[in-house]
Amino acid sequence: MLRGDHITVRYGEHTVVDDVSFQLEEGQWLMLAGPNGAGKSTLIEAIAGGAVYTGRIELGGKDIRSLKSGQLARKIGVLSQKNTVSYAYSVEEVVGLGRYAYRQGILSGGQDEDKEQVERALRLTGLEDLRRASMLTLSGGELQRVFLAQVFAQDPEILILDEPANHLDINYQQQIFSLIGDWLKTPGRAVLSVVHDLSLAKRCGSHAILLNNGKCEASGRIEDVLTPANLDRVYDMDVSAWMKGLLSQWL
Amino acid sequence: MKDARNLKRERLAPATYVLLAAVLLVTMILCVCAGSVRISPGDTVTAVWNTLWGKPVPENIAKNIILNVRLPRVLCVALSGASLSLCGAAMQGLLRNPLADGSTIGVSSGASLGALIAMATGFTLPGSAYGGVMVLAMLFAFGSLVLILSLAYALDRSLATNSIILIGVIYTMFISSIISLIITFSSEHVRSLNFWTLGSFSGVNYDQVKLLCLALIICGGILLHLGDELNAFAIGEDNARHVGVNVKRVKLIVLITISVLIGVCVSISGTVSFVGLVMPHIARMLVGPNHKRLLPASLFSGAIFLLLADLTARTLMSPVELSIGVVTSLVGAVAFVIIFYRTGKAG
Amino acid sequence: MSKKHLLILLAALTLGSSLTVLADEGITVTDMYGREITLAEPATRVVALQPSDCEILCAIGCEDALVGIGEYCDYPESILGTRVVQSGEETNIEEILALEPQVVLMNDMAQSEEQVKQLEDNGIKVAVSHASDIEGVYEAIRMVGQLMGREENAEALITDMQTTFEEIKEKTEAEEEEEEEEKTVYFEVSPLQWGLWAAGKGTFMDELAGICGLTNIFEDVDDWAAVSEEQVIARDPDYIVTITMYYGDGPTPVEEIMEREGWQDMKAVKNGQIFNASDSNALSRPGPRLKDAAVELYNFIYGEGSGETAAEAETEEAAPAA
Repeated sequence: MLRGDHITVRYGEHTVVDDVSFQLEEGQWLMLAGPNGAGKSTLIEAIAGGAVYTGRIELGGKDIRSLKSGQLARKIGVLSQKNTVSYAYSVEEVVGLGRYAYRQGILSGGQDEDKEQVERALRLTGLEDLRRASMLTLSGGELQRVFLAQVFAQDPEILILDEPANHLDINYQQQIFSLIGDWLKTPGRAVLSVVHDLSLAKRCGSHAILLNNGKCEASGRIEDVLTPANLDRVYDMDVSAWMKGLLSQWL
Repeated sequence: MKDARNLKRERLAPATYVLLAAVLLVTMILCVCAGSVRISPGDTVTAVWNTLWGKPVPENIAKNIILNVRLPRVLCVALSGASLSLCGAAMQGLLRNPLADGSTIGVSSGASLGALIAMATGFTLPGSAYGGVMVLAMLFAFGSLVLILSLAYALDRSLATNSIILIGVIYTMFISSIISLIITFSSEHVRSLNFWTLGSFSGVNYDQVKLLCLALIICGGILLHLGDELNAFAIGEDNARHVGVNVKRVKLIVLITISVLIGVCVSISGTVSFVGLVMPHIARMLVGPNHKRLLPASLFSGAIFLLLADLTARTLMSPVELSIGVVTSLVGAVAFVIIFYRTGKAG
Repeated sequence: MSKKHLLILLAALTLGSSLTVLADEGITVTDMYGREITLAEPATRVVALQPSDCEILCAIGCEDALVGIGEYCDYPESILGTRVVQSGEETNIEEILALEPQVVLMNDMAQSEEQVKQLEDNGIKVAVSHASDIEGVYEAIRMVGQLMGREENAEALITDMQTTFEEIKEKTEAEEEEEEEEKTVYFEVSPLQWGLWAAGKGTFMDELAGICGLTNIFEDVDDWAAVSEEQVIARDPDYIVTITMYYGDGPTPVEEIMEREGWQDMKAVKNGQIFNASDSNALSRPGPRLKDAAVELYNFIYGEGSGETAAEAETEEAAPAA
């Protein structure tokens, strides 16, 4: 569905993403892993159209640079790490914006379709009761669920997530990840995400790319990539010992 | 509990428009009827009514004052108020910053510098002596916007913090020193152009009304059409791009439209500050932040506010006339502080 | 003690004026802000920041003492080569100090107290003038005369102005007897484009109106004020006097007023009774040339257009011999 060939992103002299290639197929959940500053978020920004890159990113065989912003948005939905709101929009209004790409041009699906998708997204994320609430009154977890609902309403084929539950407590983390997992069950869909928590990555992901200093260290099936040997090298520490130590407290 | 967080504005919106339109109409009638010279409502109505239907107007003092002085002024004030408020609302949405406005981020002073340069150098367009001033005002407004935005982006990509306001303030100071420099070094007849800093609607005529009307129909039409896009920007520029807004194109269109509108307004009436800052907030309190409702509401409330400010300026100390900028700045500065603290709490 | 000083002493004693002369300490003058200025002898080096003070100085024959002038001082033409020290906020104090004047003449509107202090700390006397009406102009002339030791010339200039005003007044009173109703006038100090300003009560323009037998339509307003366009139209004056300068392009100030929308039915516009002095500065500055302006205005109102030559003729004999 989505493939990147030799993606390089430079900010001035600094090379943030260095010649990375990847491939995402239907039904896959591809995890981008690696230490801070490895270039994970930048790679995602390049796909989402927010960073200038060299190389080629193809969506269904077409260069994404040739796609109009609306066309791209109907195929790829993005959920950012942190969303803040300045104005008192209602939850429904924000979720409704997910249908923006469908309201433009001749491919307009009509108002009923829009309404249906918004309703479905609100139902999926359990926001039906909050639809009229002001965004300014929501908690961080609720806020992130609203933007997840927005991206569901957008009804893309590929979902791109940048640390979607990073600053949320584990209850919300679990909610968000199980929602995404359910979403992925429908055929014709795929997920690409950055996740810091390696255990979480291993649990949810099917495939992974391990990045370090902008370079691809390993890629493939998740169990082949997130190996103790690879992780110890990239993080420069005994990762499995640390993980085991953490977990043993609960046993 | 959840009910307390709900917004009750949906039901209110249509009623609010009817109310706003009615208030605008009443305000306009009031402003045409009231002025420093007392003219009976009967004479006023006759003069306006007969002109509307092409009937001869009785030759009296009311005819000249109402039709040639008061009416064009009231129309100009209403159109400028609507334009400035609309620009403010669009800018606050686009930049996602509730303190953005032509006067706070330095666009208006840029436009007045352009107008002043056109005056000082005698720059005119063939066929229209006034066009040169207007075109330079627009170009400088756009140039200022681009400059201020690039500086602000370099500091903080989200623009949500107030660094853009700070840059705007510094830019305004910089421009005003250039303006003083030009005034110092230019011939005497530019010296009287100081009025640009406070704004004035005295002496406007129907040509200017037509121009403002045209600018507002075109630019206002474009902005009202971009309600969805501005909503997306108001939630976040990245979010806008993610839902499929052509971020660069929309931003360019909005910035050009705002520059044209502010350029026209400034070249006609000088810098009337704070209308664009305060009125969108009041409109937002009435109909919420959704630009599809907010933009028309700002349009109405901006017109009403400036009409009342001008009425105050014209009548408070009659026959002496106050500068309209004094009235709007007095009200605006207080409102600015209140908004600043309210948004501070909300954030 | 010289004969002149004696005379002044006598004058001071008899008139009870603020002027006092102390035999050993030179002359003491009280300026128009009530500040006392003591000079060892009449000033020989003077800086004048205000155009009207500059004109007074030259009119009493002290042009030679002028070593520095303010930015807008441009009359008489012979002073144009004099060192310009700016004025208002931009006044160049250093430049003034370098010119080593004994006295700086300044106006209370444009200059600041800090500037006065700065100059006086450096041993330069500052005399502040403040003339909004004709009596104020006379006072300013007297003050400058005292500072320069040219009291006779000053009194001669004042008498000359008074005589001119008296003559005009007598003539207009004679004319008025033929007229049934009182004519009105509107003094436009700032044109519509920049917001209308008019001369109100207590201004020398208002007095000039009285001298020429006219009533100022803004008698109810004090000093200079921004007025509303509607009021001007409603008060419908017989005459309009504009002091807007003409710079040679676009419509003249008179044409501009004639073309204003809504003004076309006003008496002054319909009858073409709009006056723009041959030199607007004569009318806008509280100086000796007010009498020329008065003559020109009189001729415009009663002489039906033959005014300009008459005004010029009178200007020639205006300056008393030094």
